[in-house]
Amino acid sequence: MSPALVLDRVAAAYGREPVLEGVTGVVEPGVAVALIGPNGAGKTTLIKAILGLVPIVSGRIEVLGTTPEAARARVAYVPQAEALDPQFPVSVLQVVVMGRYRAIGWGRRPSRADKAAARAALDEVGLAQRAGDRFGVLSGGQRQRVLLARAVAQEARLLLLDEPFTGVDATTTDSVLTVLHRLRRAGVAVVMSTHDLSVAHLACDEACLINRHQVAFGPVEDALTPELLKATYGGAALLLDGGATVIAC
Amino acid sequence: MWGLFFEPFQLGYMRRALAEVVILGVLGGVVGVHVLLRRLAFLTEVVQHTVFPGIAIAFALDQSLLAGALVAGIVAIILYTFGARRVDSNALMALLISTFFALGVVVVSRRTGYQSDLTALLFGRILSVDQRELLDTLVIGVVSVVLLVVLHKELVLRAFDPLGSEAMGYPTIALDLVVNVVVMLTVVAAVRAVGTVLVVAFIVTPAATARLLCRRITPMMIVAAALGALGGWLGLVVSYEGSIHHGWRLASGATIVLVLTAGFLLVAAGRAVAVRVRRPQMAMAPA
Repeated sequence: MSPALVLDRVAAAYGREPVLEGVTGVVEPGVAVALIGPNGAGKTTLIKAILGLVPIVSGRIEVLGTTPEAARARVAYVPQAEALDPQFPVSVLQVVVMGRYRAIGWGRRPSRADKAAARAALDEVGLAQRAGDRFGVLSGGQRQRVLLARAVAQEARLLLLDEPFTGVDATTTDSVLTVLHRLRRAGVAVVMSTHDLSVAHLACDEACLINRHQVAFGPVEDALTPELLKATYGGAALLLDGGATVIAC
Repeated sequence: MWGLFFEPFQLGYMRRALAEVVILGVLGGVVGVHVLLRRLAFLTEVVQHTVFPGIAIAFALDQSLLAGALVAGIVAIILYTFGARRVDSNALMALLISTFFALGVVVVSRRTGYQSDLTALLFGRILSVDQRELLDTLVIGVVSVVLLVVLHKELVLRAFDPLGSEAMGYPTIALDLVVNVVVMLTVVAAVRAVGTVLVVAFIVTPAATARLLCRRITPMMIVAAALGALGGWLGLVVSYEGSIHHGWRLASGATIVLVLTAGFLLVAAGRAVAVRVRRPQMAMAPA
């Protein structure tokens, strides 16, 4: 089986401004990678490059054995809940069904099977009883879980999450961790950007440290060392007594 | 009493006007919901001003005004759809409005004896709609509504989660273009009825009223379409009644717009009252 994601000396730029360079690594199916770095380090740019939404200026990205553009239908992107308009008149179930749209195809309505798949995904994140509510009335953490359920309904082979644990409650963190664990056992690869080092330890096998260029890419215990975090975050990485490192951001 | 609502339409020109405003009301309502979802009300303003030079040039060259409006609208929409990806879309809209409108003024000012046509253009002339124009409106309406129905789920996804729809691999620029072109077609079709100045009301007002009444998009579109058609009908009745029986000389296009606005205010007031009535009960309910 081909790797879920191959990054080979990737450099990306917005216009002429280089944003990110020298990213190299391989993500196998069922493996989760934490994308770690300060704000403006290029985490979102890398995720967009994997989606084929930001052109790379050099290097190569291979997603599920093909180009990022060709792989999109099998890749699920989970945005931050705050990025979406809470006033938008859609129900929770409708948002989750959106994950099925590519499979449904143009000009056709979601079938019963699509809605059943969406309900099952909602049930997995513990929000089955909120299916009929408007998306915007849910709490931030609940909305984040709905977006994860949408990705589950999409049945993707590669999951990209943008800061899934930022500003969410403990229930949501638990729920997201449980779902990610189940998906990885089913062979789904996961790439998530995060500031939360404890979550990175809990949920991920590998970590990619970036700050405009790649500082490290490897197993969590090798990559999340005080020295490498210091190299990534500069003065914002604080070494505590006992050897733990925290990020002040 | 009820005869009041039907009597005017025994006249041929009033029947054609009614057919025109009902088609436009339905079309404007459905399109308007997309315009509100995407916060594109200002784009509607842009199109209504940018079709002006097209109509003026078509008039000067003695060509079809609809064709002139279409060409100008298409040029403006293409400039907007592609330009908005590179520069600030608000600035771009302001630039397009002023440039196209100035172009129209230049064309118009080169001709004399243009006053009455210019008035018709600015304020509409719904009562002189002929069979041919009615057919144009019907074709535009059917094409637009079919496009919106067929692409409904993709367009809603694009409006709700722009980046997500791009990430799923949808041709987003094509989807944006479809919405923008449909808005343009609706404006072009409605310009004859209510004029370039008031056309935005046909698209935005029924949808804004429906949004107060409905929580889901599909019912919102149905209610907006019904309100648009109803507003058009009542507006014609009021302007006919006022002009024929009371000597008020009510311009029909403007009266329709005022009726639509009255509907919005009525619903908004009704909702405010309903919220107040409901609140004390909620306060008494156990926490």
